[in-house]
Amino acid sequence: MNALVFPLQGLTIIVCLGVLLHLQFGRTGIVNFGVVGFSGLGMYTTGILVVNYEVPFALALLIATALTGLVAFLLGLLILNLESEAVLVATLAFSTIVFYLVTSESWLTEGVVGLGTVPRPFDVGDTSTSQLLFLLVLVAIAAALLVYAARLQHAPYGRLLFSIQDNETLSRSLGKPTFRHKLVFFTVTCAAMGAIGGLDASVNQFLVPRLLTADLTFVVWIALVLGGRKRVFGAVLGTLLTVGIFDIVIELYVDVPREFAQQLPNVQLMLFGLTLILVILFRPQGLLGERRRKPQDSPTAESRKKVQA
Amino acid sequence: MDTLIIGLIEAAPLVLAAIGFTLIYYLNGFINVAYAETVTSGAYFAILFNSILGLNFYAAIVPAALLAGALSALTYVAVFRPALRRGVGKIEMIVLSVGLSFLMRHAVRLFFGVDLYLFDITDPSYLSVFGTGVTSAQIWAMVLAVLIAVGAYLLTYKTTYGQQIRGLASNADLAATSGIDPTKTSVLVWFVSGVAGGLAGIFIGVFSFVDYTLGWNLILIIIMVTIIGGIGSVRGALVAGAATGIATAVLTNLSDPLYAQVFLLLLFIAVLRFRAAAARSVKTLMARS
Repeated sequence: MNALVFPLQGLTIIVCLGVLLHLQFGRTGIVNFGVVGFSGLGMYTTGILVVNYEVPFALALLIATALTGLVAFLLGLLILNLESEAVLVATLAFSTIVFYLVTSESWLTEGVVGLGTVPRPFDVGDTSTSQLLFLLVLVAIAAALLVYAARLQHAPYGRLLFSIQDNETLSRSLGKPTFRHKLVFFTVTCAAMGAIGGLDASVNQFLVPRLLTADLTFVVWIALVLGGRKRVFGAVLGTLLTVGIFDIVIELYVDVPREFAQQLPNVQLMLFGLTLILVILFRPQGLLGERRRKPQDSPTAESRKKVQA
Repeated sequence: MDTLIIGLIEAAPLVLAAIGFTLIYYLNGFINVAYAETVTSGAYFAILFNSILGLNFYAAIVPAALLAGALSALTYVAVFRPALRRGVGKIEMIVLSVGLSFLMRHAVRLFFGVDLYLFDITDPSYLSVFGTGVTSAQIWAMVLAVLIAVGAYLLTYKTTYGQQIRGLASNADLAATSGIDPTKTSVLVWFVSGVAGGLAGIFIGVFSFVDYTLGWNLILIIIMVTIIGGIGSVRGALVAGAATGIATAVLTNLSDPLYAQVFLLLLFIAVLRFRAAAARSVKTLMARS
């Protein structure tokens, strides 16, 4: 049981980030390729405040969330009215900057040596009970995010966000201040990513820059795209099928030969890449997505037919 | 001054990589993140011929670059062409290329491990340019960069193939109805771009070492500076590619990677905002007249 708690905590973190990415990319059409930049900023801010300055965990988490939100606001102000390709590149570059920042400013972050130990947010005396309780808190947060995402589907605000994704020009012509809405939504969801990162600091307990490579961003992306980016439960299903299978089923229950076990994380990322290719090619809407749109319905197919005629 | 010259010399492989990346971006209109792995593959093919099979370094360059080109063309035929035919959107194409990049990068890691590989060059003759020591490999990299740039220019502007490429890039449907075979032309572009990327990988490997993150570490910078340079035409793309490489090398040599990256992001945002504003003002002008 105890062996399960730690990987489940990690898995729940990925689910939370996946739901937040669903809100950004699947709902509003904001292409955030810098997930790890926001969660990493929250993670290290929390870690630095708790370890170096002995700030209480809750306060540190609050400051980290606010700081991530502020940074996201400033970045969003600059980039959210650019085309989505530019948003993608800029957010990816942002996460690289956070990575360099953590690596090079070692007077603050301990750099590659590592920053530790970040304690759990609470301690009820017994370690394994505290760990289990912490897992339950994370699951509750994931559930809350899922409920919010599900309710958003039917709320007017959700439809507004959807209209921004589908046709922003049209939405603006109907008098909706789309840029302001995008900016506020981006700020809040990125701040939430920062908060999740802060909690992740406590899951990992020992922080190294390696936790902040773009690999994490793409693990979240792969999970979401596999499950279905427009579906509330897409991130959950996707995470279970990717991280769940590798970090829990294979790691704990499959007897992998020793010489192969070293290659496992590598094979895992290779298969994740392959999964992403297959999903985009054969089921771009993800496993939970709606029925496949027939090729003749798509505007490009129509124009191609016209050309042929 | 020294850093500037070293920057310029080290720019040569980046110029090659940027030209190759730009060709694909110009033709197919999407950011191909997996281009990073084309660059890496060139370096590993050369390592295979040079350090493992014992071929002379300069003799190893040719088959390695050709294989990198073939691999690049193969990724187009096996993955990107089917996706483009299915009408996969611009952003999804990028996500797809990220997936391919993961697959290829970790496949390389599976076969070659995390070791650093070094090239075995028998005659590292040192020369002096404006008082700065350079090796013969660096001179060769510069010569090849110039050759590839000129070759790409001649290919696109002086040959029938070039005409077809330009036609395909500006209007794929019209090009297809005019009897241009889009597959044949695209395969050629992906091959040329792969050769350029492969050569870039080889020379980056010669200047330092080869490991599986070689291309991945460069791709973001290549993407950003290529977009900053702007893709109007092949001519513009070649100039942008050359400028990209030089700017990147100077940038990374003169300052800490952190500040280089911050500077690049700010420049990227500023240029794109300026361009968007310019496009809007043209539209309003046209609406008024």
